[in-house]
Amino acid sequence: MKKFSFKEIAVPAITLFLIAAICTAILAVTNGVTAPKIAENNEQAEIATRQLVFADAKSFSDVKAVEDGTYVEALDENGKVIGYVFTTSDKGYGGEIKIMTGINADGEVTGMEILSIEETAGLGMNAKKDDFRNQYVDNSGEFTVVKSDAGENEIQALTGATITSQAVTNAVNDAVEIFKTVTGGDK
Amino acid sequence: MTALKPFLSILLMAILTQNFVLSKFLGICPFLGVSKKTKTATGMSLAVIFVMVLSTAVTYPINTLLVKHELEYLQTIVFILVIAALVQLVEIVLKKYMPPLYNSLGIYLPLITTNCAVLGVVLLNIDNGYGFAQSMVNSLGAGIGFLVAMVMFSGVRERMESSDIPESLKGLPITLVAAALVSMSFLGFAGLVENLFA
Amino acid sequence: MAEKKSLGKELTKGFLDENPVLRLVLGTCPTLAVSTSVESAVGMGLAASIVLICSNIAISALRKVIPSKVRIPAYIVVIASFVTIVQMLVKAFAPSLDEQLGVYLPLIVVNCIILGRAEAFAGKNSVLASAVDGLGMGIGFTIALFLMGFIREFFGTGTITISLINGGQPLWNSVFGENPILIFILAPGGFFVFGMLIMLANKIAEKKGKEKAQLHSCKACPMFATCTAAEKEDCDR
Repeated sequence: MKKFSFKEIAVPAITLFLIAAICTAILAVTNGVTAPKIAENNEQAEIATRQLVFADAKSFSDVKAVEDGTYVEALDENGKVIGYVFTTSDKGYGGEIKIMTGINADGEVTGMEILSIEETAGLGMNAKKDDFRNQYVDNSGEFTVVKSDAGENEIQALTGATITSQAVTNAVNDAVEIFKTVTGGDK
Repeated sequence: MTALKPFLSILLMAILTQNFVLSKFLGICPFLGVSKKTKTATGMSLAVIFVMVLSTAVTYPINTLLVKHELEYLQTIVFILVIAALVQLVEIVLKKYMPPLYNSLGIYLPLITTNCAVLGVVLLNIDNGYGFAQSMVNSLGAGIGFLVAMVMFSGVRERMESSDIPESLKGLPITLVAAALVSMSFLGFAGLVENLFA
Repeated sequence: MAEKKSLGKELTKGFLDENPVLRLVLGTCPTLAVSTSVESAVGMGLAASIVLICSNIAISALRKVIPSKVRIPAYIVVIASFVTIVQMLVKAFAPSLDEQLGVYLPLIVVNCIILGRAEAFAGKNSVLASAVDGLGMGIGFTIALFLMGFIREFFGTGTITISLINGGQPLWNSVFGENPILIFILAPGGFFVFGMLIMLANKIAEKKGKEKAQLHSCKACPMFATCTAAEKEDCDR
């Protein structure tokens, strides 16, 4: 039976502990440097996307939270509300899909951008393409997904990605719902 | 039944439509390396299921703690160490108290630490924002999915031993082509689970 | 003189002769998972290379300090730290790449190439040699990923899109028009293209009088070092 000495047990343990401690310290420092930058990136991306989905807006109000998502008011140069930008999400094939929808005062969709998506490359990921997203633009009301021959307020599903198409459409419809609630349901 | 629906859907999705090996490409090393015989493939897979479920059970509370103290950036390092320690612990416990189980699963245990499927399932549970019960079900499903893929594939490979393969494809290339075909068959499950519970 | 010559060899061996993906068949998970486009494939290649070079240097520098008993956990700690640093930097300075790589970015930590090189090379060689080895292996990994990504994106979408070039627009119109061979960017296409590339690498290796890439069992796994003798024997069966 071998006798365990200090050297055999304690030295490796202490060395390992020291390495872990140093590594953690380095990580903490790096995190301190990158965390503000990451937060800033996210904010910048949000602002840039808002402008994309609501090109006419000059500025936006602060973020307001509602049950199914969040929204900001789109303002013109005089600070008058000319529409809204909604952030909503729904569960897709590979995970949550988060989108941003701009809706003007008349209830028409001014633009839709995808914030985060983890769908299958080549199928669901095509939801990011203009062809798909532009189907919502300049339309108002409830959208329904169809497999072919999309008419008014109908969204032509992506080939091989009906679930993704449905999820994105659900999220847009959520935005339309919030719009109705926010504007008092008179539209 | 309705209360079980979301769990059943997570389970079936993890096994069939989102199969870890065949659609997420996690755990490819053992999938190619330890699938020559159905027996070893089964042993490896059972060890993976065991470690996956156990590490999820252990890392979930740890993650809650990390999030509470705003230490999310330590996730990767903490999880991999927890998994490595857990694997060692399981090995020691099995060796001492359950020799028969150790004999059938033991040799695969050290290899599981670097199996990306285990760390993968832990990280994906967090990414998807699953609660504890959902995480456990998802891990179980991912493990079973791994088992299904491994056992099916080992069957294919055992058959391939006796077939006439073009010289240049022999060995690894034909194995990968076979994997492509198995993976293609799993594409057929797309939409099944979602429509089942719609 | 001899040192110089061998350093050059250390660097170039990873490109083809000992290409980590195509010859040693390591790091297969990310190779298959993120090679759906050139951009994500090369992004993964570079991220993993940086981790590999840094961890090789650190582990080589610490090789006399780390007791051999705890070397594997120590390697894992070092590698995981570099992975986390790279992850934070990517999130801060290349957020779109972070979105494309998703969970596979933190999973670099279990990329067998990195722990494998730590165990097989950096733990035994000088800092300079280890750095060069890491660079060579990293380049080899990136080359393999680029090939996979290029073939899969080209056939799967009919064009190549790189967000830094041409303002994120496709580099040319799809050669297949409306109907690219979609299966190439789906999972089966990944396995298939990988198989074909291995076949090609085998052919080249054969011409040079080398062996075919072997289907490894547990032996190629870096954790094999932690197996007991009895387990190692079992593994061969």
